[in-house]
Amino acid sequence: MKETRTASQQKALGLFTEKLNGRLISHLNSCVHCGLCGESCQYFLATGDPRFIPGRKVDLISSIYRRYHTVTGRLIPKLTDARDLDEETIREMVDVIFGACTMCGRCSAHCSIGIDIPLLVRSARTMLSEMGLVPGGLQSTVDAAIRTGNNMAIPRNEFVDTILWLEEDLKMEVNDESAAIPLDQPGKRIMYTLNPREPKFFPLSISAMAKVFYAAGEDWTLSSNHYDVTNYAFYSGEDQLAAELTERMVAEMETLGAKMMVLAECGHGSRSHRWEGPEWIERSYPFEVKTAVELLAEYIRSGRIKVDPSKNKLPVTLHDPCNLVRLGGVIEEQRYILKHTVSNFIEMTPNRTNNYCCGGGGGQLSMSEYNDRRLKIGKLKADQIQRTGARIVATPCHNCIDQIMGLNQHYGLGVEVKTLGEIVADALVL
Amino acid sequence: MPKQEIQGMTFDVDGDGFLQQPDLWTEEVAVLFARYDGTGELNEKHWAVIRFIRNHWKETDMAPMVRKICEHTGLRLREIYELFPMGPARGACKIAGLPKPDGCV
Repeated sequence: MKETRTASQQKALGLFTEKLNGRLISHLNSCVHCGLCGESCQYFLATGDPRFIPGRKVDLISSIYRRYHTVTGRLIPKLTDARDLDEETIREMVDVIFGACTMCGRCSAHCSIGIDIPLLVRSARTMLSEMGLVPGGLQSTVDAAIRTGNNMAIPRNEFVDTILWLEEDLKMEVNDESAAIPLDQPGKRIMYTLNPREPKFFPLSISAMAKVFYAAGEDWTLSSNHYDVTNYAFYSGEDQLAAELTERMVAEMETLGAKMMVLAECGHGSRSHRWEGPEWIERSYPFEVKTAVELLAEYIRSGRIKVDPSKNKLPVTLHDPCNLVRLGGVIEEQRYILKHTVSNFIEMTPNRTNNYCCGGGGGQLSMSEYNDRRLKIGKLKADQIQRTGARIVATPCHNCIDQIMGLNQHYGLGVEVKTLGEIVADALVL
Repeated sequence: MPKQEIQGMTFDVDGDGFLQQPDLWTEEVAVLFARYDGTGELNEKHWAVIRFIRNHWKETDMAPMVRKICEHTGLRLREIYELFPMGPARGACKIAGLPKPDGCV
């Protein structure tokens, strides 16, 4: 057997061993090769390339497990299709594990025995990250967050200036000098978070939420120290860094003494901060966490804000972000919101937990290497949108928004893409 | 390295079509990129945005916040999105020859 393992490959295998628990081992050993996952995967549907069938990805990862953790695999690897973690295997892994999976979990939802395929993919990403093989754009997004406190490296003073600028705008919009976007205020009910692309390039969604908070008379604040709702280490597979970003958010909540952390419209950010975070830092949060979608629905349901659906007349469809919906269980709130804020809401098909990924999840949007594939698999989403005849696509995820904006241009959809906060703000009766 | 051919000229770009060597940017590149990505023919407002982004990047090595683009060009936020349908990052920054910004863009 040719020995090609370098020190980093050894470390990667060590990390894999550390991760091996009953759950992971069961998922690695359970595939019955029924093939149902193929028809559920956008990469396979869009390209017909058998390498992209989720079961084949599972095979690839479990072949490494067999090689190093089973007797037959160690002694007679060929007999059990066990594979060395050699250069060829690694190249193949990078290509399908990073380059051909959005971790959308649709395969898992359809899997006849319920294998958690995204869990396996993420474990494989952890191994690859240990070898320094995270694609450049994804790695630099993680690094920017670790180095500067937000994934777009926005300097604090520029962030503050933008918020003050938006606050002026809000005062004019609602014609009230006392309207505010509170910054770094202690003891508030809510600390609201942001995706850095909002202050950097797309602040209309911040203005919208500020207007909703104003209408609700909410007791809230933003933090200028740590506001980034994203956690790209979730995508790169780097558990320690994912934990570090979670710790910083928890520390900021504690510093400001806010009672509830409200997560901006961000699929993987919601998943990371709400559901994965306590696992990474190995303790539960001493405060409540809610997604903006749930909060908006609550405002409408309780009558805390008044909305008029006739203010949004154009037909609206809804895209369900995978991490929030299929993998997070926030499913009906966004529908409740739209039914009360737009006159013509049209579901795309399939929807809810069976929805297609936008094609930009799993960190794909940051990995330029796989841009062609990203647009190709997005065709399924583009077709879904087109079939509804909607003029506006609402989606509670900034990552999905950027991908759908790209699809809009690439496939000539002629739609506008909005957050739910923007839709609600447009329907407000002040 | 991916190549992009526009009207007989070939550019080294990343997978998203951002110029690999931002220093090779010229105004002609901007004109071609804008035609290619559907932004269309560039008017004076486009140029004001592109030149500001370009200068900001040369001075600070960063794309400017959209607030700064508005302040320096006198354009309203919504106008920026109308001028560059792909947005400030994949639209304006790409046409201005900057590398792709990190994050959800």
